[in-house]
Amino acid sequence: MIRPLVLALCLGLALPATAFGEPAPAVAIARAAIDAVIRPGYARLQTAAETLEKDVRALCDAPGPAQLETARAAFRDTALAWASIEMVGFGPVRAQNRLERILFWPDRRGIGLRQVQAILATRDDTATDAAALAQKSVAVQGLGALDYVLYGTGAEELAGADGFRCRYGAAIGANLAKIAADITAGWADNDGIAGQLAEPGPDNALFRDQSEALGEVTDMLIHGLEQLRDVRLNGFLGETPDKDRPKRALLWRAGLTVATIRANLDGLRDLFDKAGFADHLAAEDRWIAASIRFEFAQADGALSDVPERIADTLADAQAREKLAFVRVVSSSLSQLVSEHLTAAYGLTAGFSSLDGD
Amino acid sequence: MAPLLDRRDLLAATGAWLLAWIGTPRALARPEQQAAFAAAYKDSDGRFGVALLADDGTICARVALPDRGHDIACDRAARRAVAFARRPGYFAVIFDLNRRAEPVTIQAAPGRHFFGHGVFSPDGRLLYATENDFEAARGLIGVYDATDGFRRVGEFDTHGMDPHELLLMPDGRTLAVANGGIETHPDFGRAKLNLATMRPSLVFLDRIHGTLVEKHRLAADLHQLSIRHMAIDGAGRCWFGCQYEGATGDAPPLVGLARPGDAIRLLDLPGKAWAGFGNYVGSVACNRVTDRVAVTSPRGNLLATFDAASGRLVGRKRLNEVCGLAAQAGGFFATTGTGDIRPARGAPGHVNLVWDNHVLRLDG
Repeated sequence: MIRPLVLALCLGLALPATAFGEPAPAVAIARAAIDAVIRPGYARLQTAAETLEKDVRALCDAPGPAQLETARAAFRDTALAWASIEMVGFGPVRAQNRLERILFWPDRRGIGLRQVQAILATRDDTATDAAALAQKSVAVQGLGALDYVLYGTGAEELAGADGFRCRYGAAIGANLAKIAADITAGWADNDGIAGQLAEPGPDNALFRDQSEALGEVTDMLIHGLEQLRDVRLNGFLGETPDKDRPKRALLWRAGLTVATIRANLDGLRDLFDKAGFADHLAAEDRWIAASIRFEFAQADGALSDVPERIADTLADAQAREKLAFVRVVSSSLSQLVSEHLTAAYGLTAGFSSLDGD
Repeated sequence: MAPLLDRRDLLAATGAWLLAWIGTPRALARPEQQAAFAAAYKDSDGRFGVALLADDGTICARVALPDRGHDIACDRAARRAVAFARRPGYFAVIFDLNRRAEPVTIQAAPGRHFFGHGVFSPDGRLLYATENDFEAARGLIGVYDATDGFRRVGEFDTHGMDPHELLLMPDGRTLAVANGGIETHPDFGRAKLNLATMRPSLVFLDRIHGTLVEKHRLAADLHQLSIRHMAIDGAGRCWFGCQYEGATGDAPPLVGLARPGDAIRLLDLPGKAWAGFGNYVGSVACNRVTDRVAVTSPRGNLLATFDAASGRLVGRKRLNEVCGLAAQAGGFFATTGTGDIRPARGAPGHVNLVWDNHVLRLDG
């Protein structure tokens, strides 16, 4: 069932606010998503990437095991900050290939890996300058490249005197900090995407009514869950153990595969909670929010104690079973959001407009 | 090439999926309810199928599909059609428009999947389908012998990744193929793997020799403008619709024209008119009688009509989640993701089905 207000919204009536002066649910959700999820999420990414740059530079200046550990911890923080906000698939992150420059993955044919290895083998000095690096292949300038620099073959030289690999790593950190700052600035501008999403209307080229704005926010959940299952899990987790491919897992060298999956789920749950999707449901639809929260908690509980290294997880039947369980949970969540939540808000699930057909 | 499936396998596959005609008994189909259109759908129980619709939008018959379908190809002389699985999909279902036979399913070849579109040769003997050689990320046309149980008899290169819609040009020999340029691999669902380096194209291929006739590309700064759907106008020009993978606010032109021997070009629209299309065109159709071209944008909730001769925008209609589109006397027949059916003339209809992206006209 749909509340009368949302029903009116479906019929295309412009309702900027209710009689009580509150914004309509769609607008309230869009604004909360911007202020409580998207802006703080990118700000965290920016802070983490700035720390990463600083810590990798400190490693270059004074190589040693402790400094390497600090730099690796900063890499972990940056990767998790990204994973918790990567469900935002529109706006500034889509300009200038920023999304792919932050994380080019999956690198199915190993092209990116070969490019990173070539930079290291030829000691390509232009890769140590963040501005020049930003002009290179997207695959050599982000988290995937830094995973190899910090953990891949030859990473032990980072703790020694040879500075090239480290300076390349620092340039990646600087490049990530710059990209994150540009995205943050894009979202801070109220005349840009944030203003358009927060104020749908007939003169707004991107969101001409409230359902289009709400649809965009809901799509973050739908696509985020789809990506989690189809790309992040199915990319390495086979139907059966003999079909597992641990080296195709995201950031497996750093042991961050499961941690990024948890951060993906945290980001999606945060979006659901903080955007207030549960707050505008009619009484008979509240089970949807309860079910969504239950499923998120199930997934989080399952992942709370699996080994960090994905090869270890897959080798342990019980731990592997937990990943398989999260795959099932992500499908349940997809269904709850794309069928039930959208129906409760009078949206269709974008059956025909899902990407690229 | 070895036969992909023998007839026994075909029957087995069909049986396993319990394909069948659904709904109206054959005897009830009146002449005035002759099927004029076909479109894939999902029903309210989440089951998939293809519906045949009369000129007024009434559903005449339905065929079950094992999973989500996409577009349909039709051999009009033999009154039979093929519904393709949505990408990355592995089945195609062949069904008889006059319901003289039960539907038959074929499977994609090993290492290949369907992209969702296909077309018959003019004599109906061969079926061409856009396919992905997914390990090599190479676009292919798969060739099937319609006279021999739709045995796969060959394949040829589309000279680009991600071939989506394909059409037969009026010469009956040249295939127009929209290479969308986006790398995907079934191991990663529908994730787009190469947005930073994608390079779409529109190619004309000789279907007899399987060779490239011409390859058209847009300007390098529009390399993220994926060319995906097409329709051919009365002057033999190929109109195409695009989906933009670049920055949200860029709003580049989404419709253009190509023809062998001419330079490819995009339509200019005044002001910020392209911004209303959500960077996404889902279907293109030409009405050769009224000399109009229509495109739909389910993201922009828009059906736009152009004058084919001048390229001028002549109509814009807001329609929630409109996508399916076909020419019809007096204009265009459209369907939406919300279950609406909009004939060119007469009363709009609504059914409790979610229509997929395309409508095929069965009679011309």
